[in-house]
Amino acid sequence: MSMLKIDNLQVRAGDKQVLHGLTLEVAAGEVHAIMGPNGSGKSTLVQVLAGREGYEVTGGSVSYQGRDLLALPPEERAREGVFLAFQYPVEIPGVNNVYLLKAGLNAVRKHRGLPELDAFDFLTLVREKMKLMHMDESFLNRGVNEGFSGGEKKRNEILQMAVLEPTLALLDETDSGLDIDALRIVANGVNGLRRADRAIVMVTHYQRLLDYIEPDRVHVLSSGRILKSGDKSLALELEKRGYDWVKQEAAVA
Amino acid sequence: MSVVTLQESRSSSERYRAAFDARWTAADPLVELRRAALERFVAAGFPTQRQEDWKYTNLRRLEARTFAPATSAAIAVGAHEQQWIAKAGIRIVLVNGHWMPALSSSDAQLPGMTLLALRQWFERDPAAVASFIEANTREQPSAMEDLNLAFFEDGVVLDLADGATLDQPIYIVHQWTDGAAQLMSNPRVVVSAGPNSRCVVIEHFVGAGAGECFTNAVCDIELAPGASVEHYRIQQESLRSFHIGHVNARLLQNSRYASHDITLGASLARVNLSTTLEGRGAHVALNGLIAPLGTQHLDAHTTIDHAVPHTTSDENYRGIAGGRGRGVFNGKVIVRPDAQQTDARQSSRNLLLNAGAEIDTKPELEIYANDVKCSHGATTGQLDAAALFYLRSRGLDEATARALLIRAFAESIVTSLGPPALRNHLEQLLDERYKVIS
Repeated sequence: MSMLKIDNLQVRAGDKQVLHGLTLEVAAGEVHAIMGPNGSGKSTLVQVLAGREGYEVTGGSVSYQGRDLLALPPEERAREGVFLAFQYPVEIPGVNNVYLLKAGLNAVRKHRGLPELDAFDFLTLVREKMKLMHMDESFLNRGVNEGFSGGEKKRNEILQMAVLEPTLALLDETDSGLDIDALRIVANGVNGLRRADRAIVMVTHYQRLLDYIEPDRVHVLSSGRILKSGDKSLALELEKRGYDWVKQEAAVA
Repeated sequence: MSVVTLQESRSSSERYRAAFDARWTAADPLVELRRAALERFVAAGFPTQRQEDWKYTNLRRLEARTFAPATSAAIAVGAHEQQWIAKAGIRIVLVNGHWMPALSSSDAQLPGMTLLALRQWFERDPAAVASFIEANTREQPSAMEDLNLAFFEDGVVLDLADGATLDQPIYIVHQWTDGAAQLMSNPRVVVSAGPNSRCVVIEHFVGAGAGECFTNAVCDIELAPGASVEHYRIQQESLRSFHIGHVNARLLQNSRYASHDITLGASLARVNLSTTLEGRGAHVALNGLIAPLGTQHLDAHTTIDHAVPHTTSDENYRGIAGGRGRGVFNGKVIVRPDAQQTDARQSSRNLLLNAGAEIDTKPELEIYANDVKCSHGATTGQLDAAALFYLRSRGLDEATARALLIRAFAESIVTSLGPPALRNHLEQLLDERYKVIS
């Protein structure tokens, strides 16, 4: 059974229809890459899945582990194991990074019927994950993303993901703005989370990320629909030929 | 409408005159000073919204009520102690405006410091108090300051000798007794900081449970050359009370006055904080938080008067309004004609938690010199939807996420508090106020 089943999803932002009947299934253990030109609806898709307000679902359905995902508030989705790594992580001065990590983790653990971690066990866990992300401990006591560089913000997203251990990870252009070293670190972090009972959906512009995180499936999203799906060779073909041929092919069909 | 207003004000003035005659006799050494102040108050009446300075704050509710001057109340030691900030410093407790030696740090004296309750001094040398009060009163007191002068009973005098440095704060508790109602208190605090002296003064206004009381407090601070005074004002009186506060600080050269003005309590509160920089190199820092909830109306009016060249000021006020609460910030900065090289910065940032709340913020810059740096910024907004979503997407429920963002908004004021005991106290108050689950 698929973990995530999106059926004919239609979404409007303001008076603009962004998704025009998008259908996608992701099974546990799989990594899917969603590629497509700017403005095709990639970010909208993952934000809607995470529960961002400001979008109107005008049709279709999303089922996650057999539940109606769209009926849940964002925090419930997070506690059920959905995680969005933001394209533009928000700076929140005055809220501690470490506080957010701890509050988030304990909310998730409580939901799963696990006891809250005490300060010592929590810090041990966080330190281990930070090492994995090559992050300095001084990040912990800074405001959430406050004054972080673009690359630091992305690493912080993956750190949060590593701590929260989601079931379904949505990565929104996590590779953008990263140099090659940072990309490798982020990719290692993501690959470390690959497991038979987890699924990862990554939105990206570039084939480059897929050299490091190898997808099982690649989809082309354009004008609010999945136009074509394939294996990782599709990404290579897109890299060579661009998106126009896919659009033409779809138009003919 | 004008006829009604006139009648109301006449009757309220007369009520205060009657209270005056009942309270003071010719035997009081200050009676002439008091009588003159009363007459000025009666002639001026309560401020009205027609006065520019009172445009946003209506005192009609205060004016309509009758408050009797509070007499000394005997209370048990320990009765209100849980409301006080533990280990805040040398403690002086005024209960309903009257000094309570049994609750205060006993005879605590530090080198170079004279710390007295006004009543103590009265008992020793009433004539000296009279001339001291006269000398330390502003030339043109406002109507509400005159009301204080007419009725004040007690207060605190802190005098620092040349170079005296206090190693702990002076903690003044203005406590209303539980069950006090329809009472008025007019405490006076006078701080005279000698050359190069340093001190921290904390004024903490608390109490009155469900009672309706009226605090009309005056604090006059004189800073000699090189003196440094850090002044904290934490106001958390009952939600039915009225609170008018006046702080006047006068700075001579190279002195430094820092104010932390935290207004959380009272049904209606107004603080007039007025500073005058009269010596080169003087610096004023004003930090403030006004946080109305429910139907509270909380007003902070500040004036920074750069009277001479080469003075600086830095002002940072935050407002957080929820419920149908209303906040007012008015920041006046005056740069006098010859006050060249003035550097004045002002920031007023405000957060509205819901549609019924309101904050009026008004920077008021009067700049008469040309070689100065003056900046000001005022913003009013709501909680950042993107930040709220970010926190919720990490599993935090909406209420917790909102509370965290509210706390974050106040953070720069919280961290500006020096004494750790104070900072912890404010953190707890804000956590309770906005229900942060830690």
